[in-house]
Amino acid sequence: MRAEKYKQHSQKGKAKRAVLVSVTLVFLIIIIFFISLNTGSIYLTPAEVILTLFGQGTEQQNLILFDFRLPRMVIALLVGTGLAISGAVLQGIVRNPLADPGIIGINAGAGLSVMLFLSFFAVTTTISIILMPFLAFLGAAGAAFIIYVLSYKRSEGITPMRLVLTGIAVAAGINALMIVLTLRLNPETYQFLATWLAGSIWGSDWQFVLALLPWLVILIPFVYSKAMVLNILHLGEETSIGLGANLEKERRVLLASAVGLAAASVSVSGGIGFIGLIAPHLTRQLVGDKYEYVIPVSGLVGALLLLLADMIGRFIKQPEVPAGIIVAVIGAPYFLYLLARLKD
Amino acid sequence: MKTIEVNKIDVGYANELIIKNLSISIPSNKITTIIGPNGCGKSTLIKTIARILNVKGGAVFLEGEEIHKVDTKEIAKRMAILPQTAEAPGGLTVYELISYGRFPYKKGMGSLRKEDYEYINWAVDVTGLTEVQNRAISALSGGQRQRVWIAMALAQGTDTLVLDEPTTYLDLAHQLDILLLLERLNKEEGRTIIMVLHDLNHASRFSHYMIAMRDGEVVTDGTPEEVMTCANLQQVFQIDAHLARCPHSANPICLSYQLCQAEKASACCSINSASKAYHQTASG
Repeated sequence: MRAEKYKQHSQKGKAKRAVLVSVTLVFLIIIIFFISLNTGSIYLTPAEVILTLFGQGTEQQNLILFDFRLPRMVIALLVGTGLAISGAVLQGIVRNPLADPGIIGINAGAGLSVMLFLSFFAVTTTISIILMPFLAFLGAAGAAFIIYVLSYKRSEGITPMRLVLTGIAVAAGINALMIVLTLRLNPETYQFLATWLAGSIWGSDWQFVLALLPWLVILIPFVYSKAMVLNILHLGEETSIGLGANLEKERRVLLASAVGLAAASVSVSGGIGFIGLIAPHLTRQLVGDKYEYVIPVSGLVGALLLLLADMIGRFIKQPEVPAGIIVAVIGAPYFLYLLARLKD
Repeated sequence: MKTIEVNKIDVGYANELIIKNLSISIPSNKITTIIGPNGCGKSTLIKTIARILNVKGGAVFLEGEEIHKVDTKEIAKRMAILPQTAEAPGGLTVYELISYGRFPYKKGMGSLRKEDYEYINWAVDVTGLTEVQNRAISALSGGQRQRVWIAMALAQGTDTLVLDEPTTYLDLAHQLDILLLLERLNKEEGRTIIMVLHDLNHASRFSHYMIAMRDGEVVTDGTPEEVMTCANLQQVFQIDAHLARCPHSANPICLSYQLCQAEKASACCSINSASKAYHQTASG
């Protein structure tokens, strides 16, 4: 009887902790959100920000907040969420905590297609602003598809190890191709491309929010509904089969969802890496390995990280340091610390 | 009544067949053990029965249905498997891992129902894990961990259990502990148990039915009495075995053995003379 009680207590304890962590994260996101609203090339006082939010601002203040800062911050939140959840799912599929959307060619594919586009069209035309995220998405999904096909074997389907190795090889190939193509670009276009690749949240427009949102609204609940499958996959291939998981099918749909989330995110944010790697990592430290908690909490952690990175990027230098670089500068040392700690 | 029918299967990795045209039947409500030297294909056979490996030809039937064709979740409700290399994420508690055994019965996001809890609690109880059910898996000893995996398989509520070397890496007492648990599950609940064991004497002591393999083929099968003969062991393992009677089960066990020497390959001894010889040396 006492053991019974203890059991329930311990199960509830984990859920409680996850809720507590989530609430704290939401709270932090709100705080950073308001600080971020006040950060930028034109200074607005907090009072001005609040007045403007409630419709009392001048035309210029309205423009800055509603047309420049808010959409950009919303994009940062959505992209952070998308990349983090994509990373969490991928880590579950390949059973390797070092996986991130980069290994299935997302960043390389998106980068290559943007680059091909730029070598034929100018950056500034309206058409390119609409076309570019679309092409980036196609490039990202295309690279992921190629990696999938190359690592597929009829007798065994997709094995995580082959997926990872093929991913690395294809990404290396694409990157090499990009270096060759760089020679074709004029300096101005190159400048834009470099910033894009570094992950400057360049698509700061409500249009892009609308383009990105449906992906997240559909895929995140879907992935969440697969939390138990991800838990089972974590136990290893043979155990998953024994428990009746249809490995090949589950891996395929989860992989497709991860690609969708990451490709949509990268298409509006540019080549942001690392979020998909460290957000799920941090999350596991906070709430453990169960995917019911890992999926929502890594979404929050990713959103917080990217919002913060974008704000710091705008704070230290005008016009800005790309958020992707800030993420890498903060993320890399943290990651090394994690690896060092894992050893013992 | 046979639980599993293996019908003329071909199995192999890549282009090399390990098992060719193998047929065997596994009896219901009995403990069946597959034995054989390294690389004889016993692991391949049990993995094929567990549908971890696909067949290249032939078929495996579980209660009359082809296991590689039927919905894998339906199979999971009738047959649970314990792979050789089961590894758990360290942060999970014993209870959580065992609860994953209910996966085949879950629909979508649905949380565990009352029936699920009953199965889980029973599995915790019958494997003697009540005391440690809230500990992290990583905090357990090897023997306890193996019990947890068996408990997870039991929570699946299946009539058939397939285990690939469940006692490997355990010390003597813990090996016996696991086998006694399996024996009890078979005796008290009539579960069909199929496993691979390395230890011949354990196999003989706990099985109703034994399958001896060599080079991807079944050399002989039958009761321990029929399989554990000097001639068979010589053919299967290339050893000269000195057999005796197990004081616990009265089945034949291998007391000691020599490697077979080619020229005197037929020099085998019978159970009783070996046993007598043993007693003579022991008393003399």
